[in-house]
Amino acid sequence: MEYLIHLAILVGIYAILALSLNLAVGYTGLILSKFDDDYYALASFGFNIIIFSVFLNWQELTRGPLGIPGIHRPEIFSFSFSDNLSFLLLTSVFLLLVFLVCRHITESSFGRALKAIREDEEALQIFGYRTLNYKLAVFVVGAMLASVAGALFASYITFIDPSTFTVSESIFILSAIILGGLASNRGAIIGAVVLILLPEFLRFVGFPSDIAAQTRQAVYGILLVVLMLYRPQGLVGEYKL
Amino acid sequence: MDIVPQLITNSLIAGSIYAILTLGFNLTYGTAKFIDMGYGVLAVIGGYSVFYFSKLLGLPLWLGALLGITISGLVSYLAYTFIYKPLRARKSSGAVLLIASLGVLTALQAVIAILFTSQFQTLSSLLSGNRIFELFGGTFTAVQLSIFGIGVVLFTVLAFLLKYTLFGKAVTAISDDEEVSKIVGINTDRIVGCIFFISGGGIGNIYGGIAGAFLLAFAENFGIWKIAGEWKGAITFGLLIMFLLWRPQGIFKR
Repeated sequence: MEYLIHLAILVGIYAILALSLNLAVGYTGLILSKFDDDYYALASFGFNIIIFSVFLNWQELTRGPLGIPGIHRPEIFSFSFSDNLSFLLLTSVFLLLVFLVCRHITESSFGRALKAIREDEEALQIFGYRTLNYKLAVFVVGAMLASVAGALFASYITFIDPSTFTVSESIFILSAIILGGLASNRGAIIGAVVLILLPEFLRFVGFPSDIAAQTRQAVYGILLVVLMLYRPQGLVGEYKL
Repeated sequence: MDIVPQLITNSLIAGSIYAILTLGFNLTYGTAKFIDMGYGVLAVIGGYSVFYFSKLLGLPLWLGALLGITISGLVSYLAYTFIYKPLRARKSSGAVLLIASLGVLTALQAVIAILFTSQFQTLSSLLSGNRIFELFGGTFTAVQLSIFGIGVVLFTVLAFLLKYTLFGKAVTAISDDEEVSKIVGINTDRIVGCIFFISGGGIGNIYGGIAGAFLLAFAENFGIWKIAGEWKGAITFGLLIMFLLWRPQGIFKR
C-alpha cells in the first residue's frame, strides 16, 4: 500500500511536469517547431547543462553535489503533511489546480493564438500578433508550473541535489508528453502515468537495481524510437509532429 | 613553469578530438539534414570496443581500435537503415528525427551501461610505453600526439575523398539537393547509408567544423584557467548559445 501511494505521488509530480512542458512544447511548438527546431533544441539542451553546472558549482547556495538534506514537509495551520497519504492528497490537489490552469490557458483565446503560432507563426505576425510575447508568456507560465512539481518533489523526498534534474530527466518528461500526445493535457497525464508505471514491472522481474535503472533508460529510448516510427502523434495527441 | 604553452597544447589535443568528432557529425548533418543526437554515443561505442577487445580479451591495441571503428560504423549503419531511413522516406520533420535519435542515444547509452557498468574504466595499463615529449614548454604524451596526427590524417583523407572521388561528389550533391541528386540517378539511400557508416567510424568533414572544434577547445581550456574546471560544460554550452543567438550560420558561412 505504502508503495502504491509512493507511486501515485510520483505520478502526480511528473504529471504536473508533463503538463507544464506540454504547454511550452505542445502548444507553441517551442523546441519542436517546424521552422528552426534544431536550434531551439540545441539551445535548450545547452541551457539545461549550464544550469546544471551552476547548481553543481554554486556551493554557497546549493551545497553542490552534497545536496540539501532535511527539507520539511509542508505545513498549513499547524497541520503537517508528514505521512504519505496526506502528501498524496496535497499532490493531487496541486495536480488538479495545474490541470485546470493548463486547460484554461489552452481553451482560451490566448490558447488558440498559441496553437496558431505553432501552425504558422508568420501568418499570425502578419495579423498583428506579437508572437514573441505569446511564446514568452507561455514559457514563463510553464516554468512556474514546473517549479510547483519541483517544490513538491523536494519536500516529498526531503532532499534535493543537482543530479536529480539532469538532461535525461528532461528527456524523460519529453518522452511522457510525446507518448501521451503533444498539445493534449489529457495526453500529458496519461503519458506520465504510463512512463512511471511501465518500468515498475521491471522491478518485479528481479534485476539488480543498477541494471533495472539502466533497463528503464533503454525502455524509454526504444519507446521514443518506436513512437516516432509508428505513432508520432502519441496516444491521444492531436498534433502530428 | 609558464602555463600558457601547456594550455595551448591541451587545447590543440582536445581540439583534435572534437575535430574528429565534428568531421563525422558534419557529414551526417550535411547529407541527412537532421541533428543526430545519438552521434556522441557512437564515439563511446568505439571507446568501449577498444576497452573490451584490447583490455578484456587482450588483443593488440591497433586491432581493438580497428574493431571499434567497424562496430561503431555498423551500429550507425543499422540505426540509419532501420530507423532514420524509413522516417526520411516518410518526409518526417526534423523534430521527429531528432527525437528518434534521442531515443537511440538513451537506449544505446543504457545498453553500454548494462554491459560495462556505469563506473568508469581505465585503459592506462595498455599504454605502458606512453612517452612524454616537451615542446616550447608544453608537455604531451605519445598518445596525445597520435590523436593530433590522426586528426590531421583523417581530415586530409576526407577532404581528398570529398573533392576528388565520385563518392565525394555524390555526397556534395546530396547535401546540396537530395531530390535532384536522386533524379540524376545517384543512389542517395546507399550514399547516405555509407555516410552513416563512415561517420560512425570517425572519419569526417570540413573546415568550419574543424575551426569550431579548436575554438571550443581553446575556449574551454583557457576558460578553466581563468574561471574553474567545474565550469567547463557551462563554458561549452554558453558558447553554443551565444553562437546560436548571434551567429547561427557558424564561423564560416556555407
